[in-house]
Amino acid sequence: MVREHIHLKIKRQNDPQSQPYWEEFKVPYRPNQNVVSILMEIRKNPVNTKGQKVAPVVWECNCLEEVCGACTMLINGTPRQACSALIDKLPDGVIVLEPLTKFPVVRDLMVDRQFMFENLKKVKAWVETDGCFDLGRPPIMNERERQFAYELSRCMTCGCCLEACPNVNSKSPFMGAQALSQVTLFNMHPIGKMNREERLEAVMGRGGIVDCGNSQNCVRVCPKHIPLEKSLAQLNKETTLHGILGWLKK
Amino acid sequence: MSFFERHYFLIRKLHVISGVLPVGVFLLIHLTVNSYALVSPEVYNQRAAFMKELPFLTFMEIFLIFLPILYHGLFGLYVVYIAKNNVLKFSYSRNWAFYLQRITAVITFAFLIYHVLTTRFSGNEITYDFMSNILAKPGMLAFYIFGVVSAMYHLANGLWAFFIDLGITIGPNAQRVVAVASSIVFVVLSILSVQILLAF
Amino acid sequence: MAKQKVIVVGGGLSGLMATIKIVEQGIPVDLISLVPVKRSHSICAQGGINAALDTKGQNDSTWEHFYDTIYGGDFLANQPPVKAMCDAAPGIIHYMARAGVMFNRTPEGHLDLRLFGGVKKRRTAFAGATTGQQLLYACDEQVRRYEAKGLVTKYEGWEFLSAVIDENRICRGIVAQNLTTMEIRVFKGEAVLIATGGAGMIYGKSTNSTINTGSAASSIYQQGVPFANGEFVQIHPTGMIGDDKHRLMSEAARGEGGRIWTYKDGKPWYFLEEWYPAYGNTVPRDIAARAIYKVCVEMGLGIDGKNQVYLDLTHLDSKFLETRLGGILEIYQNFQGDDPKKVPMKIFPAIHYFMGGIHVDWKHRTEIPGLFASGECDYMYHGANRLGANSLLSALYSGTVVGPSIVEYLKNMDKTSLDVKSTVFESQLKLEEEKYRKICQMSGKENPYKLHEEMGDIMRENVGIVRYNKKLKETDEKLQEFMERYKNIGVSDNSQWTNQDIVFIRQLWNMMELARVITLGAYYRNESRGSHYKPEFDKRDDENWLKTTKAYWTEKGPRFEYEEVDISLVKPVPRVYDVDGRQGKKEAK
Repeated sequence: MVREHIHLKIKRQNDPQSQPYWEEFKVPYRPNQNVVSILMEIRKNPVNTKGQKVAPVVWECNCLEEVCGACTMLINGTPRQACSALIDKLPDGVIVLEPLTKFPVVRDLMVDRQFMFENLKKVKAWVETDGCFDLGRPPIMNERERQFAYELSRCMTCGCCLEACPNVNSKSPFMGAQALSQVTLFNMHPIGKMNREERLEAVMGRGGIVDCGNSQNCVRVCPKHIPLEKSLAQLNKETTLHGILGWLKK
Repeated sequence: MSFFERHYFLIRKLHVISGVLPVGVFLLIHLTVNSYALVSPEVYNQRAAFMKELPFLTFMEIFLIFLPILYHGLFGLYVVYIAKNNVLKFSYSRNWAFYLQRITAVITFAFLIYHVLTTRFSGNEITYDFMSNILAKPGMLAFYIFGVVSAMYHLANGLWAFFIDLGITIGPNAQRVVAVASSIVFVVLSILSVQILLAF
Repeated sequence: MAKQKVIVVGGGLSGLMATIKIVEQGIPVDLISLVPVKRSHSICAQGGINAALDTKGQNDSTWEHFYDTIYGGDFLANQPPVKAMCDAAPGIIHYMARAGVMFNRTPEGHLDLRLFGGVKKRRTAFAGATTGQQLLYACDEQVRRYEAKGLVTKYEGWEFLSAVIDENRICRGIVAQNLTTMEIRVFKGEAVLIATGGAGMIYGKSTNSTINTGSAASSIYQQGVPFANGEFVQIHPTGMIGDDKHRLMSEAARGEGGRIWTYKDGKPWYFLEEWYPAYGNTVPRDIAARAIYKVCVEMGLGIDGKNQVYLDLTHLDSKFLETRLGGILEIYQNFQGDDPKKVPMKIFPAIHYFMGGIHVDWKHRTEIPGLFASGECDYMYHGANRLGANSLLSALYSGTVVGPSIVEYLKNMDKTSLDVKSTVFESQLKLEEEKYRKICQMSGKENPYKLHEEMGDIMRENVGIVRYNKKLKETDEKLQEFMERYKNIGVSDNSQWTNQDIVFIRQLWNMMELARVITLGAYYRNESRGSHYKPEFDKRDDENWLKTTKAYWTEKGPRFEYEEVDISLVKPVPRVYDVDGRQGKKEAK
């Protein structure tokens, strides 16, 4: 069936304090559209289905190539990037857009994802380099290991994994797969390894790796298909060994 | 930092381990003893009496059975509490398993408390007739089947998670293999335990 | 003297690299960025980063890298800074690998290299097909490390509005706006770095991110800093033409063996291989883009009669493609639906990169003391055409130059921003508040997004691959008409909270100012050089035009001056790719 119109139902909210409300829009169908291009279309003529002129929908977007992670939202209930949500591949009928629920809403579809970046600080997701000067050739690295590390390094901090995780919620301090997987990544780097234990200890407390409940929703929703189940299991191994050996060495 | 926070890692890992050792192992022993009911009432009574005569029984009961079960159960309630289940939004099989693990946790724990209070602490000697009296009521039999199958699911699926949580199965393929194995364990143990219940 | 502080505007590769350089000297940085820095446009760079690492036994040298860059840039780049960049390149890659970039490795574990356009040797280090993302993340992580130490304060979701310039024409800080709360405030600092990237949004649809409006660069252009070589805009030959944007299909696809073809007389015709036997599919971008344009528009031989040709990878091994080009295959599959491992990709040239930018000296100082620029928003390293995989290099390298340059400037300062009269800051703040208030009150009939679309359409049409003076003149007139129509814009959003409408309207004006710089710069430059191609003047004219264009803002539109190019290292020669025309193996005199 060919659509005549693209019918959007959007959960809007004017600011963090106010109540959310639903608003619907209709845009003439053209082939090869995606959710971002429809939102762009709406702001050229921000009129809802009741014919009222309203404020354009606020959302974040940036690269439109599914690498920056900015335009993540719930599309028909699934957390994903709006830019790669092709209209022609969505089921017919109303397309429902909502902001992510695990992050505070700023306005409309825009949420504040700052705590993911704060978690990167907590787990020390960086290599302790001596400085940005040239120290000659970097250490060699096994290409097969590198390929796994590379997959982990493609995390764009979009927040899909946290959105889908049942253990990430207001009752639980669990930081989710995004930051944890970075520990696995940096612990594989030939220089990053040197601070391996610090990073492990950072994720052994409350909210860390032990709060993972293995629902593995993160793997299913990750737009970059990062093998998070492997990354987190690897971290389980490392923390368990560190827990035992670390104590024995004390 | 509170004691809880300082030792959170240990508390969590002990929770994972206690589910298998000793609680899971005890469950298997319990099942083995009960399976004599399939042979004959006499053999069952004989074996049950034998269990009663084990040396250091009270000590073993407290430290290998009751305390580990209480620990696993009570901390488990916290684990259940911090999850906000979303199987309707994300109805993937593993997410269902996650949800069922928590549901069966609560059922098993409740069933267990009832079961222990009405058997071990009922003041009666546990004999074939005693059990068979309890299970003669269809409602009670259904309740027992429900409780026991829940426990078996919790154990089998818990084993799958145990291997991941200790970092033994790492790759997705290894995890899949263990998942299949744990399903088999669940089915086999469930059939066995239901048969035992029906034997009374 | 009071504690000194530097303001870095822009959290892409160049801004972050400069930040690292500055904080390593113990000087704190306020980092202003439109978006969380981890989402900056540098992530979109795919194919790789050039450095003569010579891990392939091909006797590569930094001299050859330098020569290829100058030659590829049609001799418009000042040579000494390019030479310095190519010399520094291996060290930069080494550092980035140490800092965590998961570059592809050879079987022995060394950095792997691949071939890119306009060169003969393998010189491009890469991390799959998401090299920009990996480099940006590594810099982001290093900056986060300093943020955790308290040396960097990030202001993400803030937009730079203008520089604060005192009565002695010295830059003392900036005015910026919080895009959530809409608060406008002054940031005082001893030095300001503008590292805000390109301005593809001027063309409406391009391979750029939506944040690449060039607004910050335009703003300081309007404050008196000249904009150089604006007319040199790179058009990437292999773009995926989309409704909302044109997505990039990395040059790495050609470098790894991808072939460009279309049907002629019912048979596949590999026109690049036929026309440019010496380089084949790996000719530089301007050459490839013009060839594709010629085949589609002039010869009418596009696939299915449309403006598109095939970029074909189907003859290559699929495992090989996965590990080396995975990222772009995924993009094509996600957005187009076909698997490029099985079906050739349909591509057409798309606006991609600004070789031109803010005019700076070799230490990245603008003409206003205290105000610096680096990265894509400067004009320094690419001449008239940029070689593939040199942009990540110039972004990082310029960061490593401007950082120390700022530190040196701070050492020689006589007073800090705190000693400057407060009225200097207050008056600039008032100016920006007033501007904002005026936009809030706009209540005309024009929709800013539609106006932007119209501008983009005409810019792509007339100031793209092929340029005619008549059309350029018309475009400039049209732009002035848009600027009139701009005054009749109506704001659709009256909120004072996260108002994206007003922000866009302000950026739109800045885009229009730069659009005129590009269009008129192209109009005046009567020659063909690199990306700038005029059929009416189809030869390079070194006698009259071996010059850097400098546009100064005036109320009536840009005023142009021209500056000699430093060609002290190699003599300009004709640039050809059908035969090997380089003379780069000769050493410098």
